[in-house]
Amino acid sequence: MIDPAWVSVLSALLFTIGLWGAFTRKNAIVVLMCLELILNAANLQFVAAAIQHGDATGWVYAIFAIAIAASEVAIGLAIFLAMYGQHESISLDDVNLLKH
Amino acid sequence: MGTTTDIPEITSSFTEYAIFIVLLPMLAFPVILFLGRLFNGNETWVKSAKEGGLIALPIMVASFVLSLILIVEFIGSGTGSYYIGDWLNFGWIGADGMTIEEKVFGVGIYIDHVTVMLLFVASFLCMLINIFSIGYMNTDPVNDNRNHRFYAEFVLFCSGMLGMVLADSFLWLFIFWELMGLCSYLLIGFYYERPSAAYAAKKAFLTTRVGDVFLVIGLVMLWNMFGSLDYSVVFNPDNIAAVDAGELQMALGMMFIGAVGKSAQFPLHVWLPDAMEGPTPVSALIHAATMVNAGLYLVARMFPFFGAPAMAGELVDLAFIIAAIGGITAVMAAAIAFVQDDLKKVLAYSTMSQLAYIFTGLGAALWLANTPGMEKYAIVAFGAALFHLFNHAMAKGMLFMASGSVIHEMHHAHHDVHHHDDHDDHGDDHHDDHHDEFDAQSMSNMGGLASKMPITATAMLVGSASIMGLPLIGGFWSKEGIIANAWRVALEDPRFFLPAFCVLLGAAMTGFYMSRMWLKTFAGKPKTEVAEHVHEQTPWIPIPLVTLTFVTLSSVILAGMMFTHWSSDSGYAFFSEKGLIDGLIYEFEHVFLNSDAFFFVLTYVAIFIGAIVGPGLAMALYGGALKEGEKAKGWMQPIINLSARVNEKRGFDNSAWADSGLSVALKERLYFDKWYDTAMLKLVAGFAVLCATFDRKVIDGTIKTIESSSQKISLSVRKLTTGSARDYIMMAALGVLVIYAMLEVMI
Repeated sequence: MIDPAWVSVLSALLFTIGLWGAFTRKNAIVVLMCLELILNAANLQFVAAAIQHGDATGWVYAIFAIAIAASEVAIGLAIFLAMYGQHESISLDDVNLLKH
Repeated sequence: MGTTTDIPEITSSFTEYAIFIVLLPMLAFPVILFLGRLFNGNETWVKSAKEGGLIALPIMVASFVLSLILIVEFIGSGTGSYYIGDWLNFGWIGADGMTIEEKVFGVGIYIDHVTVMLLFVASFLCMLINIFSIGYMNTDPVNDNRNHRFYAEFVLFCSGMLGMVLADSFLWLFIFWELMGLCSYLLIGFYYERPSAAYAAKKAFLTTRVGDVFLVIGLVMLWNMFGSLDYSVVFNPDNIAAVDAGELQMALGMMFIGAVGKSAQFPLHVWLPDAMEGPTPVSALIHAATMVNAGLYLVARMFPFFGAPAMAGELVDLAFIIAAIGGITAVMAAAIAFVQDDLKKVLAYSTMSQLAYIFTGLGAALWLANTPGMEKYAIVAFGAALFHLFNHAMAKGMLFMASGSVIHEMHHAHHDVHHHDDHDDHGDDHHDDHHDEFDAQSMSNMGGLASKMPITATAMLVGSASIMGLPLIGGFWSKEGIIANAWRVALEDPRFFLPAFCVLLGAAMTGFYMSRMWLKTFAGKPKTEVAEHVHEQTPWIPIPLVTLTFVTLSSVILAGMMFTHWSSDSGYAFFSEKGLIDGLIYEFEHVFLNSDAFFFVLTYVAIFIGAIVGPGLAMALYGGALKEGEKAKGWMQPIINLSARVNEKRGFDNSAWADSGLSVALKERLYFDKWYDTAMLKLVAGFAVLCATFDRKVIDGTIKTIESSSQKISLSVRKLTTGSARDYIMMAALGVLVIYAMLEVMI
């Protein structure tokens, strides 16, 4: 059995990469992928906790989160398609209408 | 609390219908108003229904007939009350927290001599003035298509007056009192397009409101003492014996201030002259014959308090105040009437002065009633005051209608003289022109009308004689009674010398200003071309004038029927003690051959100054023969000739007086209006500015500070929304961090 501590470390690593990517990248699809990384980092954390406590609840949550992430991707991609239709671009720098 | 009543229940069948005296006109109000809206301008409505006048008339006749039946019934049975039903019941949890206390406000009528007398005056005059209005209002082009409003308000007003008189509690009295106040406002402001009329309406409403506030305070105090406002409770001598005399005097004093406002006495008199802005029938009805009597009625209603044995000697101060206010107003108003040029204004001030006489008479009567051993005189004094109310209402109603007749015909004549070419054009614009260039109410534009308007001139002559108290005519009997009783009290209580002297002086002044008015209007030569073309032509108007002339002249019969004894003493029935002839002999003896030397002299002094000095001076100044070839009726021609002779022989130049400061002050109504305006400006406006500043600075200030600071904060916060998704993600992350940090700190 893998030590849950390593799983947590991997989770933290993934989260950091995801957050860094979301902050720095322009391409909307890449940002979406980074958000997926963050989600999966959370999933890994659930799994680590489940292993730690020997409780199945964490696994169940992880599966739920994966299902939600899938639908989120569908919505996200649909938004990007619409965005492309409007702006001919999916660069986040070109989309800044939602402001004061 | 308190025992109810030694007032017997009336059981006769008719009293059940007495409520219709009030209800009929009240129900006619919406009917006339809505029919008027519906058929406005319709030819049948204008010609056959007289824009509501012929709907109101049968109603008023019915009210009058019902009143007469009630009066006849009453004379047969005596004082009583009739309970019609509960009006309002309510309960509240009592002081012990356990029981429910209940209070029932009933509707009922209360009938005694005072009620009956005023009921007759009100219903009779309402009916006659309705007839007059049909002549006066419906032929005036300026009123086209809005007379239904006049008649609707008129009947509502009548129901207010009749209801007030019939009410069986001070609560209902107050309700109807306010109904009259409202109608008065509406009717004075009938010509609302004229700023002066709108102003006068407001002034009348607000000035009487000042008095009404005190009336409410008085009623609340009365309620506190007796636990009820029903006459059956508050007039019960046992209940009166249970209350504190000082408190009762205060309550009655407060109510008296209400009466002062309603009856236009000093210092709340300023509204009455301005109220002449209303149409003349309104002046006749409200400001001479009925509404101003409401205040007198209220004071007359206080008689049982003063007559109660338990209060003997305790309320004389209030009686003095009532008489003193009356005395001051009598002289002041008469003095102002000296210099008025407007026909209606003279009558307005005369009304104030005569009402003041009645207040003085009531004050004397109340003093006598409150003094042990004088009750015998109290009845007569009270009767004299009420008799003067009767005589004055009849005479003044007639005088106002006669003045309306003069003004109306002056308008017509002016129209004929100046608008011959476009005679058919009755447009409003023309009518307004009249007001601008020609004052049809100014006596300076009249003169010599006696031969041209015989009915009006006769009515005016008889009315003036009644007001002046010329021997044997109308007001003579009652005025002598008031003066004599004021002096009777003055002999006992030296304070009363003030009102007693005032009413005696007032008699001479009345003689002067009433004669001046009649002579300036009807004697001498016409002062303008318009006055030469005046002639009586309007239908309906002569009917009430002739009727009231005879009523005023027949006042001597009422005196012979011992009206003064009857109207004040509920135990006294007409003719019960003396027949008409014996009664007349008794009255003549009593007045002209009084066995008491003081009153014998006083009577002749009063007659001398009132009937000779005053009119003599007026004749010397304003008398004059008619134009060559003109001749008045046989009973007026000698007076005009006499005035011309006096004017020739004794005429004197009064221009020094006319330019004096006093004369100017009188023309300015002794500056009361100015003082009040200034006081209002300084006091009320100052207070209003203070309130406005508080509102702006403190209340608005707080709200505005909150508003502006939150706006500033939000302006700076919204800079954070850059529109860049990256920033939002950053903020979300930071937010999570902050929440995490907070949880760390808290847990």
